[in-house]
Amino acid sequence: MSAKVAGREWAEDVSDNEANDPTAIPAPVTTVNKDGTKTTVSYKIDDSGRRVKVTRKTRTTVHREKVNPEVAERRTWAKFGLEKGKSKGPQTDTTSVGENIVFRPSRDWKSVQAAEAKEGGGKAEEKSLKEQLRDKKVKCRICSGEHFTARCPYKDTMAPIGGDNEPAADPMAEDGEQAPKQGGLGTGQGGYVPPHMRKGAAANAGERMGGKFERDDLATLRVTNVSEMAEEQELRDMFERFGRVTRVFLAKDRETGRAKGFAFISFVDRAEAARACEKMDGQGYRHLILRVEFAKRTT
Amino acid sequence: MRPILLQGHERSLNQIKYNRDGDLLFSVAKDKVVCAWYTSNGERLGTYSGHQGAVWTCDPSPNGILLATGAADNTIKLWNIQSGECVKTWENPTAIKRVQFSEDGSRLLAVTEKRMGYLGTIVVYNIQYGEDLTQQSDEQDLKITCEESKATVAGWSYLDKYIIACHEDGSVSQYDSKTGDLDSNIEIHEYDTSINDIQFSTDKTYFITAGKDKTAKIVSARNLEVLKSYSADTPLNTAAITPRKDFVILGGGQAAMDVTTTSARQGKFEARFYHKIFEDEIGRVRGHFGPLNTIAVHPQGTAYSSGGEDGYVRMHNFDKSYFDFMYEVEREASRK
Repeated sequence: MSAKVAGREWAEDVSDNEANDPTAIPAPVTTVNKDGTKTTVSYKIDDSGRRVKVTRKTRTTVHREKVNPEVAERRTWAKFGLEKGKSKGPQTDTTSVGENIVFRPSRDWKSVQAAEAKEGGGKAEEKSLKEQLRDKKVKCRICSGEHFTARCPYKDTMAPIGGDNEPAADPMAEDGEQAPKQGGLGTGQGGYVPPHMRKGAAANAGERMGGKFERDDLATLRVTNVSEMAEEQELRDMFERFGRVTRVFLAKDRETGRAKGFAFISFVDRAEAARACEKMDGQGYRHLILRVEFAKRTT
Repeated sequence: MRPILLQGHERSLNQIKYNRDGDLLFSVAKDKVVCAWYTSNGERLGTYSGHQGAVWTCDPSPNGILLATGAADNTIKLWNIQSGECVKTWENPTAIKRVQFSEDGSRLLAVTEKRMGYLGTIVVYNIQYGEDLTQQSDEQDLKITCEESKATVAGWSYLDKYIIACHEDGSVSQYDSKTGDLDSNIEIHEYDTSINDIQFSTDKTYFITAGKDKTAKIVSARNLEVLKSYSADTPLNTAAITPRKDFVILGGGQAAMDVTTTSARQGKFEARFYHKIFEDEIGRVRGHFGPLNTIAVHPQGTAYSSGGEDGYVRMHNFDKSYFDFMYEVEREASRK
């Protein structure tokens, strides 16, 4: 041993000064700052053998409390057992301060907890159906616009995107929730069902052709004696005063692009159409007097 | 609230106890060491060494002079709290699971384990507080033998009138503390589920039991009538009644052997707070890595500590939100 100390290798010398030797740690240095706080710089070796510098800033506040004389006396007792001879105050090896814990008692703690768990990124499957739908945007099944299907301006003129025998203007279907049910895929078990086997196929079979026009006719006005220079937009503006106009059709000459002299205006509501018919019949428009009547049912 | 962590033990905690003024906390664990702590700052006052086995239980005397401990080395020891010296050792045939001083400190009961052909018993010693604390009588003042089901924990009721013992089969017994006669035995927890803890209210007229059947019950000491019941989702190891606020604190967790197979999140290693009257769960305090073995509440109700299977004691001082919390009916009652 003594021989080794005498004849130290240069390599050992280096390693001794480094982290491997616990005695190489400098003693903690405590400095008192101007504002009364203390800064303690100490070094320790962590689990993986690296030397760590610990800078701890402490502020001492004196907190006075009146206690029972017995309690006060106990504070002056000498330490014993494993603590014998140790300095006053908590020892860092046995006492430490934990992280702050927020404890707020609440009456219905269980439900609050459940709600928090959901907010905290619970899996989508765990969320209720209602919550899933909360953020969902309304989407029209006819034109994919952001409105209910029943409010679609094209609902009388366009077939739904899905394109099957779904009743396009069914107001009950506006939520989108019921779409799969009404998609008519029979048992709802998934898998392909041929169109003629689908639910309601027999009932809808023959109606498809005329169906669209039939609905159209209920609230569609035929406007005649329209000026050649008429524009669709102008007609729409005129008739929109009476209600929601879903379609304006102005017949135009294919070659000249001029209006042929008649137009069809479709309303959402038949009552609105009736009022428009009453008011607009006999109105002047571009030096001509309009004639407005309900469109005849096409057969 | 910021808990103070006490790391004086290397193994799981068995019991922690405040002294009557609440300025000292005693903790015992499976590692033979008994620790005393100042509750104000978490400083360790000292350790009491002498036990040769896991220390199951401890109790400071009401006058703050003696500390009784019971251990798996079949001994009950009395310690001078101030000096840390052992002043008396009583040998027993089996391990000691619970010790408790009577309300006036003149008697000490100890629950002994049923093992090696010995039946579980509750023994009572008289305690002297003279000039020489080592002058204690070797004689047992009373010995109650539990023939049917061994007692797991026991305590003194109001005015030291009864000894209340909880049994392994889920029943509670009331013994006359003078004669040792069995007054009544009532099954309050599910049959064949042991009762792991008993703690009394400040006036000792009622107590709370923590059962393995996942419930805790408040029972009247006079007639063993179940007054309140609190159900949890995990076996309970400990239960405490808080003075000042009408709460109870329950602690538990799954059995120690199952701990490593479950994560801390679902491990239920939290102290559960229930409203004492309404029996609702009102909150939890997390922090331990293992099941809670023992909970003690400061005698003034300003703090509580918990000891866990993880070897830590966590001392919590309640903050304002704890004291402010009231049910609507309580608030109305306090306004009147």
